[in-house]
Amino acid sequence: MIALAQALTSIRHRPGRAFLTALGTALGIGTIVALLAVSAGATQTAGQFVHLGRSDLGLFQKDAADPTTSVLPESLITRLRRQPWVADAMGLQLLVNKVHGEPGAIVFGAKPDSFELNRMVFTSGHALTSPNQIVIGDELAPQLHVGVGDTLEVGQRHMRVAGIYHLGVTEQDSGAFVPLSTAQAISGHPGEVTSIVVKLGPGTRPSTAQRLIKQRFPGVLVIADADEALRAGANGQLIQNVTNVIVVLALLIGAIGVMNTMLMSVVERRSEFALRSAVGWSGTQIASLVLTEGLVVSILGAAIGIVIGSIGAILLVHALGAAAFVSPDVTGWVLGRALLIGILIGVLGGIYPAWRAAHVSPARALAQQ
Amino acid sequence: MVALTGPSGAGKTTLLQLIGSLDRPTSGRIFVDQVSVGELTRPANFRRNAVGFVFQLHYLLPALTARQNVELPMAAAHMHRRERAERAIELLADVGLADRAEDLPSDLSGGERQRVAIARALANRPRLVLADEPTGALDSVASHNVWELLSQLRDRFGTTIIAASHDTTLAEHADRSLRMLDGRMLATAPPPELPIAQRSE
Repeated sequence: MIALAQALTSIRHRPGRAFLTALGTALGIGTIVALLAVSAGATQTAGQFVHLGRSDLGLFQKDAADPTTSVLPESLITRLRRQPWVADAMGLQLLVNKVHGEPGAIVFGAKPDSFELNRMVFTSGHALTSPNQIVIGDELAPQLHVGVGDTLEVGQRHMRVAGIYHLGVTEQDSGAFVPLSTAQAISGHPGEVTSIVVKLGPGTRPSTAQRLIKQRFPGVLVIADADEALRAGANGQLIQNVTNVIVVLALLIGAIGVMNTMLMSVVERRSEFALRSAVGWSGTQIASLVLTEGLVVSILGAAIGIVIGSIGAILLVHALGAAAFVSPDVTGWVLGRALLIGILIGVLGGIYPAWRAAHVSPARALAQQ
Repeated sequence: MVALTGPSGAGKTTLLQLIGSLDRPTSGRIFVDQVSVGELTRPANFRRNAVGFVFQLHYLLPALTARQNVELPMAAAHMHRRERAERAIELLADVGLADRAEDLPSDLSGGERQRVAIARALANRPRLVLADEPTGALDSVASHNVWELLSQLRDRFGTTIIAASHDTTLAEHADRSLRMLDGRMLATAPPPELPIAQRSE
């Protein structure tokens, strides 16, 4: 407690330097928070895709760069429905960057009688009844300023808005649905779908079905949970790898920044440490003081970094055009990791300066004054 | 009170640093209350409990108030915060600065800063106070006040004070006088003007 009180006093005495050091740490931690939040948001989105319409499994093409670039034959749906352990299956064609005025919104192509579309609750208008109709989520409609009867341009096709729906899933309420055949025509993939979602029969475990599908349908990637979905896409994997690299870089750069500042501080304050030593402070007490100062500055940096990162995550998904389907998720785990990294930066950066301060010779330092 | 006199470079400061365990002797041994201070494994404990230092430059920490500066040795001794504050206020009152307790050193005069440094030296009630040119940076009035104060505190707390100084008025307050030259003690004698029997122990 004494070290903390004295460290705070010392920081208050040099607020400019403490703030700049904290800012250096904050930028590193901010980047980490932004990437982790986007990654967590993407995991959430992936989970919602996999479990679309309360389904149990999501099927994608193996080795696709990301789930939206997967291509599967539509005939696979019929073959899957024949399996005794499958209750139902439906194909989805995803159209990305196709909505005029809101390129981030995803348009889902699905057969109007599929189980997902049967769950829709319409706040106005009705379900899809013809190929040139579109139904829009109740979060997207106000953004586009369109209502029932208006026309919306999707991939250079003019579609009439048949209804406004609510499903309770952000990604779908921020998107739209068109008939599968229309989506296939727009994407240029007739007879193909991006993904197939599968509902399992009662008593069938997802892991068992996952194994059976892998055996019977080679080239298909079966995903049962959100983390798997994120790992499956090369882009998701890339985000995770980049995050790991930035964590290491932030740790190194932050620790070196804190070490540099603390070392300068120790050199400037040699007479202070000599005096503390002369009045009876032990080496351990002096080292604790320096280490605590480094820790306080780093934790302050982590706090600023969390704010920067939270704002940065929102800017990042907008810059990537993914704002409609990825909501950055600043979870407790993301904040916890940011704080942990801040503490690590403080400890790593403070150890050597603390050692130097603890070994200042009081006789020599005071004589030099 | 012991006056340590001699020209610059005579070794007065070195001797005080050796006695106070701020430095270790390269040869020979120094005993304070039968403790060989050069052989202490934890000299910080000795400095914390047995000695107090007053330097020519007061060495008050600029970010701390007068009270907080006085509390420094007590903080090293893990004394409770409230007890530290109470004792620091008492000590500041003893040196006539009770009303300046929350002032920063930059708000105090040179003489006042040195009085804060004296209060700090007495914080852990040491048996020995080592004062190295405590009036070196003060004018004659402030110097006189510092010697008066050290004498009063010696009488009140029974603390042994070894003071090194060029200031000739030190001898008026000292019980014994030691003169050094080139690292050697030349003479030890009571001050001339009073018989030793009349001096404080």
